[in-house]
This record gives sequence, C-alpha cells and structure tokens, in this order.
Amino acid sequence: MPWSKFRQDYAAPTGGRPLSYCAAIREAIDQAMRHDPRVFAIGLDADDKFGVFGSMANLTHPERVLGTPIAENAMTGVALGAALSGLRPIHVHLRNDFLLVAMDQIVNYVAKWQDMFDHQVRVPLVIRSIIGRGWGCGAQHSQSLHGLFAQVPGLKVVMPSTPYDVKGLFLAAVADDSPVLFLEHRWLYKNTGDVPEALYTLPFGRCARLHEGESLTVVAASLAAVHARLACETHGLDVDLLDPRTIKPLDIDGIVASVQRTGRLLVVDHDFPFGGFAAEIVAQVAERAHGALRQPPQRICFPDRGMPASGVLERAYYPTPDRLAAAMQAMLAGELVGGGHGF
Amino acid sequence: MTRTTTIDRADVTWLLRRMRLIRQASERIARLYPTDVMETPVHLCIGQEAVPVGLCRHLRDDDKLFLGHRTHGPALAKGLPLPKLMAELYGRTTGCSHGYGGSMHVIDLEHGLPGSSAIVGGSIALGVGAGLAAKLTGASWIGVSYFGDAATNAGVFYESLNFAALRRLPVLFLCEDNGWSNVMPKSAHSAHDITGVAEQMMPVLQADGTDALSVYEHAGHAVERIRGGGGPMLLHCRTKRWMKHQGPERCDLAANHIDPERDCPIVRLETWAQRSGMLGADECTAITAEIEREIDAAIAFAEASPFPQPELVEV
Ligand SMILES: Cc1ncc(C[n+]2csc(CCOP(=O)(O)OP(=O)(O)O)c2C)c(N)n1
Repeated sequence: MPWSKFRQDYAAPTGGRPLSYCAAIREAIDQAMRHDPRVFAIGLDADDKFGVFGSMANLTHPERVLGTPIAENAMTGVALGAALSGLRPIHVHLRNDFLLVAMDQIVNYVAKWQDMFDHQVRVPLVIRSIIGRGWGCGAQHSQSLHGLFAQVPGLKVVMPSTPYDVKGLFLAAVADDSPVLFLEHRWLYKNTGDVPEALYTLPFGRCARLHEGESLTVVAASLAAVHARLACETHGLDVDLLDPRTIKPLDIDGIVASVQRTGRLLVVDHDFPFGGFAAEIVAQVAERAHGALRQPPQRICFPDRGMPASGVLERAYYPTPDRLAAAMQAMLAGELVGGGHGF
Repeated sequence: MTRTTTIDRADVTWLLRRMRLIRQASERIARLYPTDVMETPVHLCIGQEAVPVGLCRHLRDDDKLFLGHRTHGPALAKGLPLPKLMAELYGRTTGCSHGYGGSMHVIDLEHGLPGSSAIVGGSIALGVGAGLAAKLTGASWIGVSYFGDAATNAGVFYESLNFAALRRLPVLFLCEDNGWSNVMPKSAHSAHDITGVAEQMMPVLQADGTDALSVYEHAGHAVERIRGGGGPMLLHCRTKRWMKHQGPERCDLAANHIDPERDCPIVRLETWAQRSGMLGADECTAITAEIEREIDAAIAFAEASPFPQPELVEV
C-alpha cells in the first residue's frame, strides 16, 4: 500500500470541515482500515459498545476490531508478532496506566526488535492510548507517561493537540514502519477544528507555533498546549508558544531557534518532573543555546508525587491555564518561577 | 472435605448485619452519587454481598486482605468503619486514605486491609506476599487475594498461584466471579475454567456466591486448612452483579437473569434465619433500621469533615 502519496506538510488545512478531535481520530482509523487491509485494531474493550469513547464507533470494518481479555503484556506481544508477520496492528488502550502492565513487551520487545537485528525487519505497530484524569480516579488512572516512554530508544511518541494534527499524525503513525506510541488526552476529545476529508499524513518532529511572541518561548504538548494557548490569548502575553506534537522525534531545532530570539524558556508538561520530557528540553536547550538564555529556564510539571483523589487536591495538583498565565507573566517580569521542578 | 462448619446465632446476625451494611450503604451511595458529592468512580457490590461477608467472618484482624477496584463490600466486611469509607468517597481528611485514595484505593491497617489497587490483576500477587511474610516470620496470619473473574486472564494470576503452591504459602485466593469484565461477559474473556486452572496447582472449593451460608461454610473450611499449614487454596464464588460495572445505575435485572428475590443474598439469609428460628422477623427489621441510622451518622461525619489542604500537593 503506497502510504507515501498521502504526505502533507503543516499548511493550514484547506477544504476542511469542522470536526471534533474524537471524530478526527475516528476518521483516521476508519480511513486507515479502508485504505490498507493489513490494518486492524486490537485491545481490551476495543470492540465495546461505546466505541472507545466514540473514537472507534461505527467503523467500516468492525470485523477488523478485536477485543481482548485483560492481558496487556501478552497482547502487546501478539500485536508485535502480527506486525512482524506483515500486518499493521493498532493496539488500543483505554488508559495509558494500563501500558505499564505491558512494559516488558513494550520496552524489551517492541522498542528493541529493530535495533537488535539491525533493522532487517519492519515493526509497523501503533500503540494507541487515551490519557485520562479527574473525578477522583487517583494515582493509577490519571498518569501521562510520555516522558517514561520517550526515554526508551526505539519508540516514537506522538501526542497531538488539535483535530487536524491528530488525524494526520495518526495516519502517519499507521504508515510508519517502526513502533509509534500515540497518546490522546481525553479532555481534548470535544475540541473542534478544521479537518480535511481526504486521507493525509503529517511529518513527525515538527513543532506547531500556537501563539506568536518575542519575549518568552513556551513549549507544551497535548492538553498542556491547549491550556498554554488559552493562557496566552486570555492575557495577551508576548509568548512564542510551540507545540512539539511529537515528543520523539523532537523538533529541537525549532525550539532552539525560538529561544535564541526570546532568550527565555518555560516548559509546561503534564507529567512528572524528574528526568521527564520537560527536563529533556531544558537540558537540550542548555546544551545548544546556553548563551541565549537571559534567565534560568523553568518547568511547570505535576508535583513529584502520585495523583490524589479528593477533588480539592486534584484541582490543586494539576496546573490550570490561570496558573500557567501567572508563571508566564512572572517570567516576563524577570522573576524566577518555581523551585526548578514543578510549580 | 468432610467437616461441616458450624454456625450459631451470633454468626448469622453478623453475616446479616454486614450484608445489610454493604447493601444499604451502596444504595445510599447510588442515591447520592448524581448530586456529585462524591467525586470518585464507584464500583458498587449490590447483589454480591454474600461473598465478602461469608469470607470475612472467618478472618482475623491480622489476616491481610488485598483488593482490586471493587472495594466497598470486602472492605466493610473486613472491618473498615463506614464513616471512614464515606469520608474517603467525600474526599475528606478523615477518610481511610485521607482523601488521597478515593473509592478504588482504601486502606485500614487495624483491620488487615493493607490497600487496594485499580490495575486489574496485580494485587493478586500481594496476598501471596503476605503469605510469604507469614511463613518467613512465623506469624500466624494468612494472606487473602480477592479478585474478580476477569483478573484471572492476567498472567499474574497464574504466576501468583504457582508460586504460592510451590512454597505452600498460607494464602487464600478468593475469586468473586460475577460473570462480567466491565461490559464483556465471561464467555468473551475467558476460554479457561477458573477452577480448572487453579486445580492443577491447589485444592479448590466452590461456593454459591449469592448464598452467605454457602460462602461461610466453604470459606470456613478453606481458612481452617490454610491456617493449619495445608498450603494455598482457591475459593470460587459465583455471584451476580446487579449494578453496571461502575456508577449508580442498575443493570437490566431481567435481561441478566437476576431475580431480585431468589438471587438476593439478604433475602435468602433472612428467610433461612427466620425459618430455622435463628432470628425473628422483628430482629431483621431492627437491623435494617439500625444500619440506616449508622449510614446517616457516617454521612453526617463525612459532610462535617474537613477537606485536605491543597498545599499538600502543590510543589
Ligand atoms: C490492567 C488493567 N486493564 C484494564 C483495566 C480496566 N478495567 C477496570 S475493571 C475491569 C473489569 C474487571 O473485571 P473483574 O476482574 O471480573 O472484576 P469486577 O469488576 O467484575 O468486579 C477492567 C477491564 C484495568 N483497571 N486494569
């Protein structure tokens, strides 16, 4: 199947129509399955009557959607084996916390299979997972583990924030001959934006500029990008807001170029701080553009502890657009933000 | 097994009280839930009460019970005070997990409840660890792993049984088989027969999980044998889930072949207790009223309790 002919760059969508994030991902899955008979979806409750929060409802090929028992580790191996046998599996998880049960297969098998055999084989496997949080779900049902997975060589980690990106990047993930971890935040599902009807793929490793400014570079992905954009727009901040869209590969050139203009860097990351995605960006910018920094770079992450359940604690635990705005304003005023990890 | 477990008036009263506590508390939670006072997902146990009470009547406070996400029934049966459960659901500092755990993560160290997990399967291994600790230290407690039918699909189920059997650990595996994994029936998630798998490694007993007396009797045999050094056992209790997987709504009972009289563990025990002269009808009515007052008090306690300080999680 010639997936290459669908390549599209990040031009503003033309000929699109408004679609929700959820509908965009659904359309991508449906088109991938219609376009390529090797594509199938598998996962616990992948075939449930809710269609995975609507993202897989009423697909053209329900016969290629397979439910599984609670057996995430083995099912990851099954998906890998199918990928090594010529299929293009989409392994679906309702929450990314469940991926941890499959860590052995993901880290030791899926991520390593190509490196171990010097890339003689293709591993066209998409592991798709929804990130959830809120309503007292607590420490085991609210994590966003992109930083952990990005640390492992051999995995691409994609977390789009807009309907246009989610469709194009999902199709790119299916078209990719290496493993891709595709993370969708549940809170983005209702957001709408213009999405072309045709099948298209978008390139990995290219930032989107969600807000233009000259005085502070803010890097944020997925829901954090949407919150950061809201903060910039509500308060009219002079911020250059970059959404990396793919955590790995990372558009570090785009980020560095921005920091060289603004002289300031803030990373907003909905993940744990220690050794995480935000830390990685700060480290790479320090290596590449130390001289351009007018202020120590700052991070806003989750606190370095598991998620609490009580509503009052949840609301304090997660950074809000208002708190992001306050942090950006403080940096723009020349103040330091947190203690170096989290805010 | 030839012995029969004896049961007296105190046992029957206890079983009925705890089942009523679980039932009435669950019904109250279901009633209040739509008002959003409890910001946490709830997996209710209505219809399944016989299993935790029949088991826990034989457990001591130092026996360690490990639970999954469906916590309320077994936690209350083991001794978690209702006010602490209610306060946890209300997200208050006085909750059993101080508001940090929510419905799926409850703890009560005084009553042998070292915590519960919402990632299905993993906590089966923890009960084995409690059994190992007993063996290594010479302690007399037993470990109990309490899980649903679908948890047996996870590799950790097999791995845990195997290790417990190899080491002859004092562990009871309690499978509360309600026939469902969320919206998936057992026929769609298990090719294996749960008891058949376990029987290759250890003795297995089967109880009627809608009948407190049946669970009480079989759990009694199992706990006695395990405590006596007989090695691990699995007790399989087939029961019926009256509620949707999560939240305050009932299933369509008729469509699920549930008869709210025939299959109700409380009706069954009350009928038996009255017929056999163990308890009078007035005593049963009195229990219901008492429990209702306990629930009122637990909710008042939760509502009056403070919320945790948000600074605790801000860095
Ligand atoms: C590893 C993992 N995969 C998926 C889930 C989502 N999930 C939560 S409860 C549940 C069904 C569990 O069924 P069972 O173990 O029989 O217990 P029951 O809910 O019937 O009491 C599922 C699939 C999870 N919590 N953990």
